[in-house]
Amino acid sequence: MTRLEQTIGAVLRAGVIASSLALAVGLLLQFMHAPGAQLLLHAGILTLLATPVARVIVSIVGYIRVRDWTFSTLTAIVLLELLASAVAALVFNKRL
Amino acid sequence: MPPVTPLLAAIIFAAGAVSGGFGALLGIGGGVLLVPFLNLVLHLPFPVAAAISLTTVIATSSSVSAARAGKQLINMRLGMLLEVATAAGSLFGGVTAQMLAQSTVQKVFGVVTAVVAVIMLTRLQRRNVILDPDIDPGPLGGRYHEEESGGMVTYRVKRLPLALAASFVAGNMSSLLGIGGGFIKVPVLNAWCGIPVRAAAATSAFMIGVTATAGAVIYYGTGQLIPALAASAVLGVQLGSWGGMRFGQRASAMWLKLLMAVVLFVVSAVMFTRGIR
Repeated sequence: MTRLEQTIGAVLRAGVIASSLALAVGLLLQFMHAPGAQLLLHAGILTLLATPVARVIVSIVGYIRVRDWTFSTLTAIVLLELLASAVAALVFNKRL
Repeated sequence: MPPVTPLLAAIIFAAGAVSGGFGALLGIGGGVLLVPFLNLVLHLPFPVAAAISLTTVIATSSSVSAARAGKQLINMRLGMLLEVATAAGSLFGGVTAQMLAQSTVQKVFGVVTAVVAVIMLTRLQRRNVILDPDIDPGPLGGRYHEEESGGMVTYRVKRLPLALAASFVAGNMSSLLGIGGGFIKVPVLNAWCGIPVRAAAATSAFMIGVTATAGAVIYYGTGQLIPALAASAVLGVQLGSWGGMRFGQRASAMWLKLLMAVVLFVVSAVMFTRGIR
């Protein structure tokens, strides 16, 4: 197992555990009509969405570290595409 | 929109568990089952159903890949190369969705799924595996320990442009329909690109997190991603994919392909019928 694969596994695991915990507690609070439910639910969703992005960033760093310029470029393109989709969402929002 | 009641949350949790199980087993993300259920059975608006499904696709991808990282089944280099195409496809999918009528998309979806299912059935016996473990897998190939035969499996990647094209289409379908897109990539990678079905499914499951995120971000921005409903589905999926992975360890490759073909035929019929109405 390479160091990068180990790091990627850890990032994905941390993201899944953190988002699942926030979503589970948020859902329980929602049904108990307790305060903070919406905040936790949104935090859980955002953590879930941020996990694959974090994995891509970790990959870029990992490939730069071993001087694999082909794959650092490819993963950087993936990150740019993810950012472009966030920008597209904002543009789409303004039209509504 | 129905109100978010504990009963609705429980139903969506159960639906997430079932589709998550299939997703982990087949590398199809589970969205192909969840979207029709949420849309046709629970009568949620299509974008709301798609948004919920995309969050479960991300959760499945992350949890399944976290457990598999370092076990050689995921071909990370190939996955990251193909992600350039899936993410671009996902981006264009948002534009395509604005230009095509929903009924047209559904009919295309139905036809594509049926074709892919037929391909899977005609290639049930094909293995695409180089059994000599000393052979060079090339820059993008891989090798992994196979549970069934107990030996090392080595493979080379063939027809990379085709793999990239299939990944682009899969990404396009992902943001368009709220699915992972693995049901397009896995058969193509297995049938024409020389990748064993398990490695293809694991690599696809690894990729769909990034693909689905590109689509889900847009739904979150437009307010069509409802956190409480997504939470129920995501937690169900965690349970289902855990079960699917345990079961998948013992299931044979041929059985997996047969099950996948049956699932695809059912989804094809449902989506095509919807497109005609």
